[in-house]
This record gives sequence, C-alpha cells and structure tokens, in this order.
Amino acid sequence: MGKKEIYPIVLGIFILGLMRGPALGSEPIRIGYLQSDIHQLACWVALEKGFYKKQGVDVKLAGIFRAGPEEMSAFAAGALDMGYVGEAPATTAVANGMARVRILAQVNTEGSAIVVREKANIKTMNDLRGKRVAVPGHSTVQDFLLRKAMAKWNIPMNEINITVLKPPEMINALRTKQIDAFIAWEPYPAKAQTMGVGRVLLYSSDIWKNHPCCVLVADQRFLASRPAEARRMVAAHVEATDFIDNNPEEAGRIAVKYTGMDPESVRLAMQNVNYTYQLSIEGEKEYVRFLVGLKYIHVKDIDAFTRNFICQDILKELVKK
Amino acid sequence: MKFERYILPVFLLFLWQLLSYVGVIPSYLLPSPIRIIFGFKDLMFVGMPPEHLLYDHARYSLYRVAYGFGIACLVGIPLGLIMGWSERIRALIGPLIELVRPIPPLAWIPIAILWFGIGIKSAAFIIFLGTFFPILLNTISGVVAINPIFLDAARSLNAKEKDIFFKVLIPGSIPSIFLGMRIGMGIGWMTLVAAEFTGVKEGYGLGYMIMTARDIQRPDEIIAGMLVIGIIGLFINWAFGALESKIVRWR
Repeated sequence: MGKKEIYPIVLGIFILGLMRGPALGSEPIRIGYLQSDIHQLACWVALEKGFYKKQGVDVKLAGIFRAGPEEMSAFAAGALDMGYVGEAPATTAVANGMARVRILAQVNTEGSAIVVREKANIKTMNDLRGKRVAVPGHSTVQDFLLRKAMAKWNIPMNEINITVLKPPEMINALRTKQIDAFIAWEPYPAKAQTMGVGRVLLYSSDIWKNHPCCVLVADQRFLASRPAEARRMVAAHVEATDFIDNNPEEAGRIAVKYTGMDPESVRLAMQNVNYTYQLSIEGEKEYVRFLVGLKYIHVKDIDAFTRNFICQDILKELVKK
Repeated sequence: MKFERYILPVFLLFLWQLLSYVGVIPSYLLPSPIRIIFGFKDLMFVGMPPEHLLYDHARYSLYRVAYGFGIACLVGIPLGLIMGWSERIRALIGPLIELVRPIPPLAWIPIAILWFGIGIKSAAFIIFLGTFFPILLNTISGVVAINPIFLDAARSLNAKEKDIFFKVLIPGSIPSIFLGMRIGMGIGWMTLVAAEFTGVKEGYGLGYMIMTARDIQRPDEIIAGMLVIGIIGLFINWAFGALESKIVRWR
C-alpha cells in the first residue's frame, strides 16, 4: 500500500472530527419529546395554546422518540436544542459523557405503574419473582423504578427477568402472555386497564412517593449561546404546567389529540401524574446514587455532579416574578 | 514483506488515538482505541447490562444461529437435492421460492413476533430465512452442475436411480452445498444481530447487548461489541473453510 492511499483516510478522519453538530444561529429551537408520554403534556399544551409563540420563541419539532435513551442519543448527535425527557436517561447520558445537557425545570413527578395481566394471580411485588417484566429500555425512569421496587421488596436482580419492549408493544405482549407484567409511563397503564387487559399492581408513587420523572433539558452549547431564548422556553413551560392544573378538561383534550388514545384512558392516566415545574435536588441525587449502584454510571462526587447538572437559576428567577 | 502489512493499520490506530487525545475526534462520536479496549474489558467482567457478561451474550447468539441454521440445513439440503434432481419438481416449487427469496429477512420481524413471540423461535425463524435460500440454491446448482457423463456412466453400468442419487449426486454436489452453508452462515450471523435489536426474551444476545450499551450511553462498549461480532463471524467463516478443505481432500 502506497503513501498516497493514506491521505484520503486521514482527511476522512479530520472531517469526522469537524462534524460537531451544526452551528447555532437564530434558527428555530429544535425540540424533542417522547411518543405518547402524557407526562410531557406541558409540551403539547405549549404547542397547541401558542405559549411558545407568545414568548416569542420559534420552536421546531425535531424528533419524537420511543424511549428516553434514543432522545439522549439525538442530543449527543447535536440534533436537539431542548427536550422533554426522563430524568434517568438524561442523568446516564450526561454522566457517561455522551450528551452535554442541563436540567432547567421539572416536568412531572410520579406517573408510571407496574401492570399485570387482569386475571393473573399476582397480588404483590413478591409474586413477580421468576416472572418476566418488560421495561421501555435500560436506564429509563421505569427501569429505575422497577429495580427500586425490587430493592424495596428485597428481590435480587436475577429473580425477575427484565425484557426490553417499547411501550406501544407492551399491552399486546401482556395480552398474548409473552410477558407477565410491564412498567410504563402513562397512558399505557391506563390504556391496559380500559382495554381490560391489565390491572395496576403498583403505582410508581407506591415505589417512591413524589419521585421526579420527566425534566426539561437544554443542550449546553445552546444554553450558552442563546440564554434568553432558553429562559423564554422555561417561561412557556411554566405557563403550560399552570394551564394543566387550572384547565384539566382542555389539557385532557390536547392529550387525546397527541396520544391518539380515548378520553377515558387519558382521564385515568392524568390522575396518576403530578404536573409540576419544581426541581428536586434530593430526587436527582437519589437517581445518581441508584444508577451508580447499578453500575450504569460512575460518579465520584454526587453533590458536584448534581450542582452542575441542574440549573436552578432560570426557574428561580421566573417563579419570583 | 509481512511486516509491511501491519504498518498502515498500526499507523491509523496511533493517529486515531492521537486525534482522540487532542480532542479532534469527540469521544461521544468515536471513542479512542484505548477506551474501546476498556469497554471490552467492561463487557467481559462487568457486563452490559451489568452482570450480563459478554460470554453469555455470545453463547445465546451462537445458540440462536445454530438453531436457525440447523433447521435451514435440514430443510434446504434435501429439498435442494430433490429440486436439482427432478426438473419437474424444480418447475413446481421454483416460482414460489423466487417470490419469497427477495424479501429481506428483517422485513419478516413483525410477522415473526406475531407467529413465534419474542423468544428463541422468532429469532431462529429470522436466521432460517437468511440461511435457507443460499443453502437451497447452492445445493440445486451443485446437483445441476454434475457432469452428465457421470450420470450416463452410472446408468450404463445399470445403477438404480436410488444409487445414482446417493452415490453420484450427493457426493458430487458436496462442495457446492458447503459453499451454500458458508454463505448462509454469514448471512445468518448478520441477520441475527439485527433480529436481536427488536428485543429478546432471555435478556442475552450480542445485538441486544449493543442496544443496551446504547441505552446506557456507552459508545466504547458499542464498538467493542461490534468488533466481537466481526471476530466471531470471521472465526466461523474460517472454521467452515477449514472443514471444507478437509472434505474436498477426502473427495
């Protein structure tokens, strides 16, 4: 092999190195959210009610994802500026150096459930020993909650078979007995109930009261270069969250539109979700500690990590007003 | 001369490491070689997800491939021999085969899950589809390509049709059957990993391992896993080659 043939390869590697995401200017803000995740209703409300426009920010929907880790991969690829995503996948992606994002506001607490087959003889967590349980992905909030429940009930990790299935596939898999239970975000647990396929074994509030769940995150480069717009995005988020509290009926109709589910399931699902923008530092530390324990991430100084990861300033300033 | 073969790869590895070190290649796009080696170590001893070790992932994947490949051989070789032997049967089944063959095995995944669930059977079915056609077609062409002089010679010596089938057609088509098995195995191995992306019941498999590494955001383990898949594929191909040359010598 001659020397001349090396040059294109070297050039290729340099070009790869230069691909560090598109330059940021005054283009629309690229946002992402999870498919049919009713936790993220504030995002849909802000889109539908024009809260982003009212704040003067131009928002472009850049991705709808089937699970949090996929959305974090999109952040790593530089394809998103802001997004609604679970706190667990966001923590994992940042701790493992893949995506550089910061949390700007909470989106919801609670709002997941472990669902078992309607007629199955499973009454307590202990009855899940030796059974097969589906999660939406490793290092999702639901994976986290299931393992936390196992720890709480003293069930060793190897006594439950954990399978990865995407939430839209879970209800059918439960019905055809391919899995014995699943844990998912609402409205899938509610949908399983209204379809008569499953019943709730545990709500996530039974596993961890008031557990933080979804968060609003921003890419650090975006945050550094366009801080004013990030602030307006948070303001729209706060307005949308308040709107849900004050107008649950109308918010429910928006949820029906975005999830494509029936009003009955949506109504049931919303009862299980607590919409709030208040951040919880202790909650994040709990996530970090548990993810370290699972060996998903390695973080030495949990306090410092949490301080850097959660940006409280914007929210504090807004709420003061 | 042998030494020269290694100059470019080693040079590129060094360059890659250097560019990673100075930050030209961000680690979230492509981890450095050293990080990939550590990722490999983590796959071996920590597991992905933790406590699911590389060895077990490989074992499950190999088992799935052996399952689908075994069935493809059991069905494909006899069917190929018969179709090669009888022009009438070939005309009867051929069009159906030609219709199904171009459908990529991965397009069958939703149907496979419906028919066989998310366990070993649906993975085996996907592998079967990937391996079956190369085996079948190569067996047919192996039989068809046998020099008619051999058949005429056997017939003129008053050999029965049964003897011609077992003593002329089968030995004569063995090199071609082997080629089909080798190609089929290669395709099956590639198909398997993609099939495991859609989910596995047992919680093990190399494709599943890579998807989990992506969930937990570990690109070093993703690339280490890809290399493992490549090396195992290379090894399987080499083993087939060795077996084949032995059998050809016997012939």
